[in-house]
Amino acid sequence: MTASNLIDNEAGTLSRDIFSSEEIFGREVKRVIAPAWSYVGHTSQVPNSGDFFASRCGVERVIVTRDPSGAINVLSNSCRHRGMPVCRYDSGNSADFTCSYHGWSYALDGALTGVPKFRELYQGKLEKEKWGLIKARVSIFHGSIWATFDDAVPAFEDYIGEDMLFYLRTLLQGPDGEDDGYEVIGGIVKWQVPCNWKFGAENFAGDHYHGYSHLSVERLSVGTSGKKSRHNFAADKTARQPMFLADPARGHTIRASVYREVPEYTVQEAASDEVNDYYRKAHEEKCRRLGDHARLLIHGGVIFPNTHFNSAGRTTIGVWLPISAARTEVWRWLFVPRNAPAVVKDTLREYYLRYAGPAGLVEQDDMENWTAAQRGTEGLMSSKYPFNYQLAMGLERRARPDEWLGRNVTITENTTEHNQRVFYAHWASRMEQQP
Amino acid sequence: MSVANQTDLVDALLIKSEVEDFFSLESELLDERRFDEWLDLLHEDLYYWMPIASNVRFDQPEREYTRGRGEANWFDEGKDILRKRVQQIQGGDHWAEEPRSRTTHLVANVRVASTQGGDIGTKCRFVVYTNRLEHDTELFVGKRVDVLRRENGQLKLVRREIYLDQSVLMSRTLTTFF
Ligand code: FES
Ligand SMILES: [Fe+2]
Repeated sequence: MTASNLIDNEAGTLSRDIFSSEEIFGREVKRVIAPAWSYVGHTSQVPNSGDFFASRCGVERVIVTRDPSGAINVLSNSCRHRGMPVCRYDSGNSADFTCSYHGWSYALDGALTGVPKFRELYQGKLEKEKWGLIKARVSIFHGSIWATFDDAVPAFEDYIGEDMLFYLRTLLQGPDGEDDGYEVIGGIVKWQVPCNWKFGAENFAGDHYHGYSHLSVERLSVGTSGKKSRHNFAADKTARQPMFLADPARGHTIRASVYREVPEYTVQEAASDEVNDYYRKAHEEKCRRLGDHARLLIHGGVIFPNTHFNSAGRTTIGVWLPISAARTEVWRWLFVPRNAPAVVKDTLREYYLRYAGPAGLVEQDDMENWTAAQRGTEGLMSSKYPFNYQLAMGLERRARPDEWLGRNVTITENTTEHNQRVFYAHWASRMEQQP
Repeated sequence: MSVANQTDLVDALLIKSEVEDFFSLESELLDERRFDEWLDLLHEDLYYWMPIASNVRFDQPEREYTRGRGEANWFDEGKDILRKRVQQIQGGDHWAEEPRSRTTHLVANVRVASTQGGDIGTKCRFVVYTNRLEHDTELFVGKRVDVLRRENGQLKLVRREIYLDQSVLMSRTLTTFF
């Protein structure tokens, strides 16, 4: 079956099989997941020479290291001899990695440096320079670390595209508008959800229709706004226009708002004076630095295919790691402003913990719904009846209110499923390509 | 249990029995979904913490669990947030708990580790079994370090450290209480 039989862009429908078929899953790992730049972590996790942490790049297990030259490496965590993970730890500091099977050892840049009985048993002939750990192509963007093992994938800047580079850069700016303004707090949050990875991806790509999912938390106050809402921007006084932006050539999507004018600082009633003081000053600084661009509020989005982020006062970046058609592992990094006082960092941290992840009052209901949606892809009859993605079809446009919002993106004001349609159209075009 | 004499031994046994009774009552209230009554057993100053485990080298055990107050955790909160969690479940539209889970909380190996002033430090093991809908079954197993405080003759939970024996959480949600 070709991808074009699975997705009907004209009709705004797609086959449920793309969530449940293991055969399609096998192909999409090769054609969609592997030929992509993936977020693998942040430079603040490896400040010193020898620092490392385990990560994933699509379906590959990797080690992210900082070597003595200061360079960051993303290495396949698999010994070239028999495939053992050469690093058995989730994080730490080490001068090298020694495989636990036969003892080959590798430097922090992946070079094979030690082979037991090299002279006696290999007669000194093993070409060590050919048997180093497989190295990913790496790109560092304002502190974030990206990797791919695919040589055919365009350079990072071209893969992300000029428009999404702007949004990604903005995402990584601190509350004061300073570039590379964030650091990761200790502990990557990891959990598994029994659903296809695309349910998470399409939700983050642009589902603002699912307010119903979160009614139970909207009655509580979980943000710092003091309002009964999960979002801090609930307290904003300045009017803003929600916008859904998508890059059809690359499949990336952004959820954002643009304030009608550069917004006033909104006091967060439930936060302490110290926290408000920090954010008020940061807000002024940001407006000074960014000018008109300070009108932009990023809510979240997806860097195609499986890197996702959430923002709007809570900056997190994560990846949907495909395990099987019906199982996904999620890794999530939580960010706090690098230069903020401890009390600010902690206020934010607590907000994440009660909002996001498996213990988060908000995201619990997302995971529940995606798991339930997965069940709707299981029966035989379900193949005949596609899912509906027709919401606000045809309302997207290329003309934009402000030129700086991007030259190549489509923009839809108000709730739409256009971003999901762009995500799946790009998915289909990748599936059609020969690997 | 190291005690000097008969009277101390009887006191220690009484405290242990009281603690075990407290934990049994907690389990019962949670499993019978009497969440408001469970909240009544919690001290207003409760610190409720479940760190995230990771795989670290044998000689760095202090790095195995994330720190509370500063790093990512499964739970790192007080009674105010637990109250919100209960309210959310009670609304009938918190889909991750609607319909509600069938749960069984088992607490075992209870030991009184210290008594100081009105505070009783305890250690135990837990097994929490949950089952939802048709086939959704989860098993949470781990260790707990709790402090119970006596106030006006009543024991209240004032500190709970929960060490779950998982690094990647194998469940999609943590909607149960520990
Ligand atoms: S598998 Fe690594 S040395 Fe043999
Ligand atoms: Fe959601």
